[in-house]
Amino acid sequence: MIKLENVSKIYKGDVVALSDASVEVNRGEFVFLVGASGSGKSTFLRLVNKEEQPEEGQIFVAGKDIGALPSWKVPHLRRNIGSVFQDFKLLTNKTVYENVAFALEVIGRPRHVVKTQVPAILELVGLAKKVDNFPNELSGGEQQRVSIARAFVNRPLILLADEPTGNLDPATSVGIMRLLDRINRTGTTVLMATHDRSIVDTMRRRVIELDRGSIIRDQSRGVYE
Amino acid sequence: MAIKIDYVARETAANLLRNVTLTLASVLTVVVSLTLFGSALLLRQGVENANDRFKGGIEFIVYLQPQITEDQKASVQRDLDSNPDVKSFTFVNQDETYEEFKRLFQNSPQLVETVTPDILPPSFRVAPRIQDPEVVKALGDQFQGKPGVYEVVFAFEVVQRIQETFNKIGVRFLAAAVLLLVAALMLILNTIRVAMFARRREIEVMKLVGATNWFIRIPFIVEGIIQTLLGAAVAVGFMTFLIRPFIDELSRDRVLPIFQGFVITDSNLIYTNVIVVVVAALIGAIGSAVAVSRFLDV
Repeated sequence: MIKLENVSKIYKGDVVALSDASVEVNRGEFVFLVGASGSGKSTFLRLVNKEEQPEEGQIFVAGKDIGALPSWKVPHLRRNIGSVFQDFKLLTNKTVYENVAFALEVIGRPRHVVKTQVPAILELVGLAKKVDNFPNELSGGEQQRVSIARAFVNRPLILLADEPTGNLDPATSVGIMRLLDRINRTGTTVLMATHDRSIVDTMRRRVIELDRGSIIRDQSRGVYE
Repeated sequence: MAIKIDYVARETAANLLRNVTLTLASVLTVVVSLTLFGSALLLRQGVENANDRFKGGIEFIVYLQPQITEDQKASVQRDLDSNPDVKSFTFVNQDETYEEFKRLFQNSPQLVETVTPDILPPSFRVAPRIQDPEVVKALGDQFQGKPGVYEVVFAFEVVQRIQETFNKIGVRFLAAAVLLLVAALMLILNTIRVAMFARRREIEVMKLVGATNWFIRIPFIVEGIIQTLLGAAVAVGFMTFLIRPFIDELSRDRVLPIFQGFVITDSNLIYTNVIVVVVAALIGAIGSAVAVSRFLDV
């Protein structure tokens, strides 16, 4: 599903974010990316949906070399990739329903699809009763559920999560992880960057550890360290 | 992918209202620049209309007495025929002169009412072989004072005076208009940039979920075009209800005889207004297109 071949990414000022990284993630896998801040986890995720371009190497998503993808096709790549962030990135002037519907409207989905898909996904994430609330009326965990709903409403093949529990307390984090696990069980490949030791140790999924841009460990059913 | 009209309309309206002061600044700049630009165009067409009788190489006109006898007229015609310096000439009778007079003074209906064809001078419109003013002057003067000749009018005297005056006004108008159009373009560019900044979070989300670039850009481009079209609408109003009546006023003014025959016809006005609207749409499209392509990358 995702394959990196000898990928290097160097930011301005010779900051090495990823160096000669090669890894393959299969369809339906759940993968944790761990490592200290600045080890290259976020860069890894940003390379997969082509927010960044690698200096060297090739990246394949769903069998296609995305380096060869013309820029006008990038939106179509991103329709197959959902993204979830630590800071949720919700639109504060839109309700829960509107935030999720927005993701479908701006890719031109017909109205009847929006009207059926949005309530269904909000039911799935457990927010059916909060559809008309605004983000600032919700708890952090609820806001993250909205953002997951938005990322998943278009049923992407891949879900990228950059420290989705970074702003949440442990109990709330568990709820979010249950949700991501459930999404993974529908066949969606999940790639999650995290610092949360207890989550990684409880879930026992594949763990890829990065250190200063290099993959130093790749372990199935792994632990944080 | 279908871009929904109601989406574009909603987004554009919200953007225009969000930045009322900046929008107003760009619209006003567009109004002033297009009014100047359109006025320069109208003046030029007025000049063309005023010089209508000198079209097609005609360098001087021999006006004849309205009561000229057939013999006198035939004598003038023979002189023109036999003169080697005359390339061609046409005779304009009193009825044709009256039609021309009505066209030239269409803005002064009272004047036209007092005139009948029989008091207007028929004329020979003469195109000489050599266009040099001195040669033309010498040639025309041969007819001055001939029996039955009322007056010889030279193009270089009338046309040059009108054109010099126009050049003074028109060139300055155009220069100011171009400067202001550039200012308008930059203001539109910045207005759109600010609008995009105000909506940067939405744009970020749109990119993340895979909205195409054009889907994101089109509301902003529409916004830019709407701003300039609003300006164009006001400018068209100014030209129709202020500038044209003002030029008409000038053409009736006896203190400024140079503007006599300075007519702006309805088709001149429509033509100018269409150009103004097209220029406005272009400015809006270019300004906002530059803004979205410079500040909105994948």
